[in-house]
Amino acid sequence: MNGGDDTRNLGAAHRNGNNHHHSAKRPKISLPISESEIREEFSHHEEGVARINNGSFGSCPASVQSAQKNWQLRFLRQPDDFYHNTLSEGVLHSRTIIKGLINADDVEEISLVDNATTAAAIVLQQVGRGFAESRFNPGDSVVMLHCAFQAVKKSIQAYVTRAGGSVVEVELPFPVTSKEEVIDAFRLGLRRGKQDGKTYRLAIIDHITSMPSVVLPVKDLVSICREEGVERVFVDAAHAIGSVKIDVKEIGAEFYVSNLHKWFFCPPSVAFLYCKKFELSKDMRHPVASQEHGNDLPVGNAWTGTRDYSSQLVVHSAMEFVERFEGGLEGIMARNQRDVVEMGKMLADSWGTNLGCPPEMCASMVMVGLPSRLLITSGDDALRLRSYLRVNYGVEVPIHYQAQAQAQSQREEGDGPRDKDGGRITGYARISHQVYNVADDYYKFRDAINELLKKEFTCRMIFTE
Amino acid sequence: MASPDGKHCRSQTNGEAKPPDSKKQKITELITDDEIMSEFSHHDASVARINNGSFGACPQSVISAQQRWQLRFLRQPDSFYFNDLKPGILESREAIRSLISADDVSEVSIVDNATTAAAIVLQQMTWAFAEGRFEKGDVAVMLHYAYGAVKKSMEAYVTRAGGRVFEVQLPFPVSSNEEIITEFKLALERGKVKGQRIRLAVIDHVTSMPSVVIPVKELVKICREEGVDQVFVDAAHGIGCVDVDVKEIGADFYTSNLHKWFFCPPSAAFLYCRKSAKFSDLHHPVVSHEYGNGLAIESAWIGTRDYSSQLVVPSAVEFVNRFKGGIEGIKKRNHEVVVRMGEMLAESWGTSLGCPPDMCSSMIMVGLPSCLRITCERDTLKLRAHLRECYRVEVPIYYRSPKEGEIDPITGYARISHQVYNKLEDYERFRDAINKLVSDKFTCPSLSA
Repeated sequence: MNGGDDTRNLGAAHRNGNNHHHSAKRPKISLPISESEIREEFSHHEEGVARINNGSFGSCPASVQSAQKNWQLRFLRQPDDFYHNTLSEGVLHSRTIIKGLINADDVEEISLVDNATTAAAIVLQQVGRGFAESRFNPGDSVVMLHCAFQAVKKSIQAYVTRAGGSVVEVELPFPVTSKEEVIDAFRLGLRRGKQDGKTYRLAIIDHITSMPSVVLPVKDLVSICREEGVERVFVDAAHAIGSVKIDVKEIGAEFYVSNLHKWFFCPPSVAFLYCKKFELSKDMRHPVASQEHGNDLPVGNAWTGTRDYSSQLVVHSAMEFVERFEGGLEGIMARNQRDVVEMGKMLADSWGTNLGCPPEMCASMVMVGLPSRLLITSGDDALRLRSYLRVNYGVEVPIHYQAQAQAQSQREEGDGPRDKDGGRITGYARISHQVYNVADDYYKFRDAINELLKKEFTCRMIFTE
Repeated sequence: MASPDGKHCRSQTNGEAKPPDSKKQKITELITDDEIMSEFSHHDASVARINNGSFGACPQSVISAQQRWQLRFLRQPDSFYFNDLKPGILESREAIRSLISADDVSEVSIVDNATTAAAIVLQQMTWAFAEGRFEKGDVAVMLHYAYGAVKKSMEAYVTRAGGRVFEVQLPFPVSSNEEIITEFKLALERGKVKGQRIRLAVIDHVTSMPSVVIPVKELVKICREEGVDQVFVDAAHGIGCVDVDVKEIGADFYTSNLHKWFFCPPSAAFLYCRKSAKFSDLHHPVVSHEYGNGLAIESAWIGTRDYSSQLVVPSAVEFVNRFKGGIEGIKKRNHEVVVRMGEMLAESWGTSLGCPPDMCSSMIMVGLPSCLRITCERDTLKLRAHLRECYRVEVPIYYRSPKEGEIDPITGYARISHQVYNKLEDYERFRDAINKLVSDKFTCPSLSA
């Protein structure tokens, strides 16, 4: 059951006299993977770019791309045969691997979808139906974090608000110094949002927030949800798999989604949606109803009309890739964390700024304060600075604009962190570290900012084209 | 500049891409037979692939263009997202607009497939019921031969929300457009019986199984006459298979897959929405930060995905223009040949065609000998698998329940397709396979489950 298997493909080619197969490049059996092999696997990355933004779009090594092409070719070669004899087996295999990685009880609890955005639509449509079919009362609410991913916020608008539900936003502190700060703020926010006679139907919490990025104590937050009477919890863990260890039983949420194309080396795009207890998924439907609609969610998700399913079929190839590294996935995660924190500290030291959270609240990404003199005063400034760095310095890194310090505790103490010049830090770069990154990537970024400072550059000077 | 490698310099600067007029013939060399074979050399050569209708086909040159787009994303995804994706999608949409004679590119959205388009159109009905704009019991009409996924969508979005769904019974085999028109009128009348409004009619342009070209223009006219609110034409097989002029057809929504008959890789389709204030409420079911910016913009970003199949529409247009007469020429020849092949098979087997030639497109239904004893749908799947495994013939089979009193009825029809890569030998192999099964006294019940 191996789409990237040389021998099977060559055999088939022989049998059919068709010599136009693209054979997968079998990795040399030399473990662990060497530096030069890593470079080779990511040699398609644009040269000259300090690619320190794995968080946004992920990355995919050449050997997994190869495996994907094989699957694509198999479909194109004889699509009927592929559909009838190959596809569902392949998807089941992928789901089984994921079940093992996240400690789920049953493979039936795992569905594959395009991305976390799609999973959010599935879960929120179900909530919407609860309102439409009067199982929920008008004014019952959905809880989300203030920093929830924009697509999730819009999805809540589209499916919950529109159906008569209300939304409670909980603000978490940033910068943050401990997980207790997060826990306290979350509990406070939930309690404040409670209204007499209204039920919290769903809470959506990130495992690793996107912007600004922090690893949240998600197990504790789920417990608090239970304490405060939240019916169900949906963990949006887009960044989690390949960044942090995931144990869905321990975390205890009803729904958990993570993208495999961000930190797990799969090509775009593939994500898994975990639904606790098989029964739950009975009322969950993929928004695109196919012939499989009405069958359980994993089956309904596995066929949403003719599409390219190849990215869902290469999960085992990604696993194979990961296993070439010392310590496998755990080794990769540990080293990414160590290196991103080290690089973050290096940058903060050089610029006289700070990190947005302590090392234990980072995984493979960390928020690094940018010097106040850059005068980042809005989200637009942040976006323009990002483009400026891309175009003029070959540095790819997302920038977050942090307005006033948000949490209660910070308001009491002062007005937020300041840099070595005494100016307020309003911008943070979210740097990522993945296996292909090298120290030079971060030095390039360090030097770019230092040069901007020397030139007395501010965001005001960037004109939108 | 939206093209992946800068080589296809159709546009001037400023990213204002002007795709070639797909209807004009390029003054270049026409594609040769050898080149066609080469373009489809990745097809399993041992298979008589006469089922283009199910999953379509994609030539090498378009696959290559797709891979260039994919690589561009992988190379520097942020730059791709910020600089290349939107212009690329816009170029594809403009190419489609031109092909289907739509007025404005804002009317054209690209989605994964017709199934997704159906979800989009039907989802607005759910809201209309929930928000009281429709009344419980308001009606939606569809053809009995509507695609399985569309039927399920109707259940999910209409029935579940309180609407009633009526099916138009269509005769098969069918002998004229009039038969279809009559049944359609009857269904509309039934729908209006309790004084309820008919909110939506879903009409196939080319039904899937059994495959027949429906006189959509006439049916749309009838819908307007009978006061049907909205008409949605499901033309999964439309573009590249039948003539698609959306203004002439006059429906409110029209969807077609590009990966079936227009040489795009899986998967890409378009949803055309006639400009009108009534329809500003369409949304893609997968909501991203683009929510509220219009369906076309919403559909162009539904989270991180591989959009490459949607970006190669201009490359597919280039491919098609290498043929004599472009897409019109391809359609015409496909139709002529598939009819000839159908007649050849029917004659050899002593059976008949499912519809007259002018009611078929690049596909035709050919009756299978009754002695094969196809008695149910499962038999058709078994026979299909048997043909695939033992004769290397890929062709879908349709089961037709016999009417009372029919003697020796034809209960099985093969849906044969013809696309540019097909050869006479494909159909001869099928002919001979069936003849062999007949002479071996093969019957479906004898096949193991």
